[in-house]
Amino acid sequence: MSGDLQAVALTALLAGVTTLLLIPIASPLAWWLSRSRSSMRSMIEAVVALPLVLPPTVLGFYLLVLLNPESTLGGMWVRLTGSSLTFSFSGLVLASMIYSLPFMVQPLHAAFRAVPRSTLEVAATMNASPWDRWLNVVLPMTLRGYITGAVLTFAHTVGEFGVVLMMGGNIPGETRVVSIAIYEHVETLNYDAAQTLALALLCFSFLSLWAVYRFAGHRFEVLRG
Amino acid sequence: MTMRLGIEGCLERPQFRLDLSLELDLTKPLGVLGSTGAGKTTLLRAIAGLEPDFEGRITFGSERWSEGTRFDLTPTHRRGVGMVFQDSRLLPGKTVAENLTFARRRARAVASSVSEAEVIRELDLDHLMTQMTESLSGGEQQRVALARALLLRPKLLLMDEPLSANDLAHRRHITDCLARWQTADQTPLIYVSHAAHELAQLTAQLLTLESGTVKELGETARLLPHAHAGDQARSHRAVVVGSDPGQSSLTLQWQEAAPLAAEDFRLGDEVLVRPGAAENLGFGASLPPQAEQDENETK
Repeated sequence: MSGDLQAVALTALLAGVTTLLLIPIASPLAWWLSRSRSSMRSMIEAVVALPLVLPPTVLGFYLLVLLNPESTLGGMWVRLTGSSLTFSFSGLVLASMIYSLPFMVQPLHAAFRAVPRSTLEVAATMNASPWDRWLNVVLPMTLRGYITGAVLTFAHTVGEFGVVLMMGGNIPGETRVVSIAIYEHVETLNYDAAQTLALALLCFSFLSLWAVYRFAGHRFEVLRG
Repeated sequence: MTMRLGIEGCLERPQFRLDLSLELDLTKPLGVLGSTGAGKTTLLRAIAGLEPDFEGRITFGSERWSEGTRFDLTPTHRRGVGMVFQDSRLLPGKTVAENLTFARRRARAVASSVSEAEVIRELDLDHLMTQMTESLSGGEQQRVALARALLLRPKLLLMDEPLSANDLAHRRHITDCLARWQTADQTPLIYVSHAAHELAQLTAQLLTLESGTVKELGETARLLPHAHAGDQARSHRAVVVGSDPGQSSLTLQWQEAAPLAAEDFRLGDEVLVRPGAAENLGFGASLPPQAEQDENETK
């Protein structure tokens, strides 16, 4: 496999794994945000949204400091798994999950908020347990939110650069994703290869967003504000 | 079948307090009457386990449903109550058939002399089964909600003005059916309504509430005329200035200086009309044109 194809495959794998792992993590978090009256809610919302405004290099820097093998967390990970979180695929997945968290949580939050309490009440009076209500009432009503969140998370992970560079560097087959490959091609003045990959990313990003707007319409609040 | 319902406790909200101590024998269906804000809906919600702020004891037969601050000692989905809400609350994005299926799949496994086909036919739902709930009129939505609660084969049936959005013909027919089914199945029933003829036909005992407390509890036949006599004392004069017999609608004009503001009404609210000394009749009534306009502006 050529270096660029390997980068494309690695990018798709990274985006797929990140999306799949974020769905079960973001779901309870978004549900809590949509239902809780806790005074902590606004603070948690701000923390979740932080990657939207934080420069990726800042996020990448802090992750590098937190997760390097010399740190407490990074050291624990090394002792548990025998490998480092920095400059590795597993580290990239963790960084991508943090970086893309708001892109999964916010569409789910908006979708869950649109489920009226009265609908859940009536389902309860029809002998539906909490899990039954979630599976057969909430999930069908919020399917669009899930699809929107999944498409956005996948697309956003495909396009990330700063966090990947800080956490993963540029190791072929391990951390060298498409955005890093483009950067390397430009550095080595190989503009044709950079052009091909950049155009592919541009088309993919456009098609993803088009699909989201077309499918989710007004329900998509992250970009429309 | 267990028929005794005990309620003792209170629920506090800004400008409202429900404070009850009741031991109800639901062998006979119970009607609940009271003015707006008397606590009728809150009482049903507390019985169903939907009021986290209710503090006190609720028992049904040998089952303890609430105790002290534990309103969810038995959570709603384990109480086996069927509830028809005033605003229907059909499951969105589903057809009428899917709403009924949702209830049927979660119904108690008990024998009933009332078949699903009969419920659907008598509630005039046959032609609506494939329609999405969002496309139904208010009256149709209420009938679906009613069918759904009946198909659950509940231990206790709670109905909160379940027919208020239906026309007179449907109301009379459904009231007949409910009375027949109740007699056949003997399902304990608590029925909230302002419609005298529904309470008279469906219930044998009546609970009247006032400002969150029990005003009276007794036989419907004895209390109902008295309760409505109270209404009459507080009534205001209006004349019919227009009518549409096809729609069973009347346009009324106040004869006093604005005894009630237009915003006190919503379209579809029920008013009692007493033509001379004739028997009380419940009608769906239109507001005067100006009131309708005001109502629209407030939306």
